[in-house]
Amino acid sequence: MKKQIGIGFRKDFAEDFLSGNSLQPTFIELAPENWMGIGGYWKKILQEVAEKYPITSHGLSLSIGSPEDIDRDFLKQVKNFIKTYNIQIYSEHLSYSKCDNAHLYDLLPIPFREDAVHHISKRIREVQDFLGMKLAIENVSYYTPVAAEMSEIEFINAIVDESDCNLLLDVNNVYVNAFNHQYDAKEFIQKLPLNKVAYIHMAGHEQVEPDLIIDTHGQDIIDPVYELFDFTTQLIQPVPVLLERDFNIPELDHLQAEMDHLEYITDKNWKKLYATEKIHTATTV
Amino acid sequence: MPLKKFTQQQQSDLAGYCRTNELHEDLQVRRERVHHYRRLVFNVVNDSLQSAFPLTKNLLEDKIWDQLVHQFFSAYKPQSPQVWKMPGEFYEWFSESEQPLRGEFPFIDELLQFEWMEVVLFMMEDIPYPESQKEGNWMDSTIATNPEFRIIQTNYPVHLRKAATIQDADKGDYFILMFREKDTGRIQFMDLSPFFAVVVDNIAHGADLRSVLLALQEQMPQTSLLELQENTIPLLEKLKDKGFITGFKE
Repeated sequence: MKKQIGIGFRKDFAEDFLSGNSLQPTFIELAPENWMGIGGYWKKILQEVAEKYPITSHGLSLSIGSPEDIDRDFLKQVKNFIKTYNIQIYSEHLSYSKCDNAHLYDLLPIPFREDAVHHISKRIREVQDFLGMKLAIENVSYYTPVAAEMSEIEFINAIVDESDCNLLLDVNNVYVNAFNHQYDAKEFIQKLPLNKVAYIHMAGHEQVEPDLIIDTHGQDIIDPVYELFDFTTQLIQPVPVLLERDFNIPELDHLQAEMDHLEYITDKNWKKLYATEKIHTATTV
Repeated sequence: MPLKKFTQQQQSDLAGYCRTNELHEDLQVRRERVHHYRRLVFNVVNDSLQSAFPLTKNLLEDKIWDQLVHQFFSAYKPQSPQVWKMPGEFYEWFSESEQPLRGEFPFIDELLQFEWMEVVLFMMEDIPYPESQKEGNWMDSTIATNPEFRIIQTNYPVHLRKAATIQDADKGDYFILMFREKDTGRIQFMDLSPFFAVVVDNIAHGADLRSVLLALQEQMPQTSLLELQENTIPLLEKLKDKGFITGFKE
């Protein structure tokens, strides 16, 4: 595959991004929920950015971990969005954001339990069948386990195996969880189904207590996370890599510098592979 | 294997805690950390509501605003997967619930409606513009208008006055034309007289000006059609300059 270093497209920097050239990603990522079924100013921006860049999508509201049924109407809209913008990767979080018929608009941790594995795997297969493409499921950061009867790594592996989905590996989330729950981040990554990694996210975080980091996407990536990224990219085939920055957004050339750093690491570890590997993105089911 | 009731209950208890602050004793979480989820969820909801309703937010003391947001999120189950639509549900919930704030701010429902309508118009899907030509006859041509508009009626001048300065003495009949500019996507709003609101509403729905004015003249027999025409056309020309009237269909 070609080198792909992207940026999470945010309304906060949309105008500067499109009118300048200080930020030069090879692709951009959108949350479909924020861009579906709209018109006017933001629709024009969406069309402009779609003409210039390939788009990946990273969902917020599918709530794959919900106890209740998949929202088919919502999924239809997502499918249309994916088709309209020729999106090759659709990823979602291994979490839930809707429960008891109420959306919460944030990512809650799923109990690491066997029945949850089967329930969620079934839902992922349902989504993949409906969309006709594989879902890339992201390992999320979490601040407390909920009634866990297995470890996080066992939970993720079981779901990826049973649902045959892809994995969006958020390296920062591994770092955050390793810190918060006191495990070894490199060991955790080595135990993941690395042949299923289709996409990588990188971001910054904030330590709010001596033993707790919150995954804010509001700071620069720190060196230990770059180091973990370096470690990870030595273990897997080339995949698209995305920089996420949602809050406290700096000048765009600062974001470009972070992307350059990611590119430096991927070049170091993947350069020889770029020309020979097949594109490892969405696969038709 | 279906999801066990225990697992469902754990998920429900955590989500319920985030919404209501009621921490069920059977919820198996790290107690010293779980409050972060409630904080994070509240922040998303609060940010979205503040963004949609900046005037209402400014009107209320911070403590009152926070209480209102907490009250909404405890009592109401947001249905839209798109967070930008959630403030519309807040507005509906507020309109249908008992709110002591109405005693102090009798215009608060209308302020929320005005602010939400601005969001709706700004975000709504594009509507095709009717084909039109630049020149035409005001009285007998069909006037082409911007299809992305709303006219709302209020009892208080929420569009004209700073909310904190609105008083009972301001009570009256107000009509607000709101529309989205084609090129910029910005929302324009204009205060309309009751008479002109009827005119604009009718021509925007395809009626020709002559028939609209004739119908209105029946209610004002002392006024001639020519007088109505002379009063109305300059206002329509103003709407044309502002881009609400886009031309003539024939």
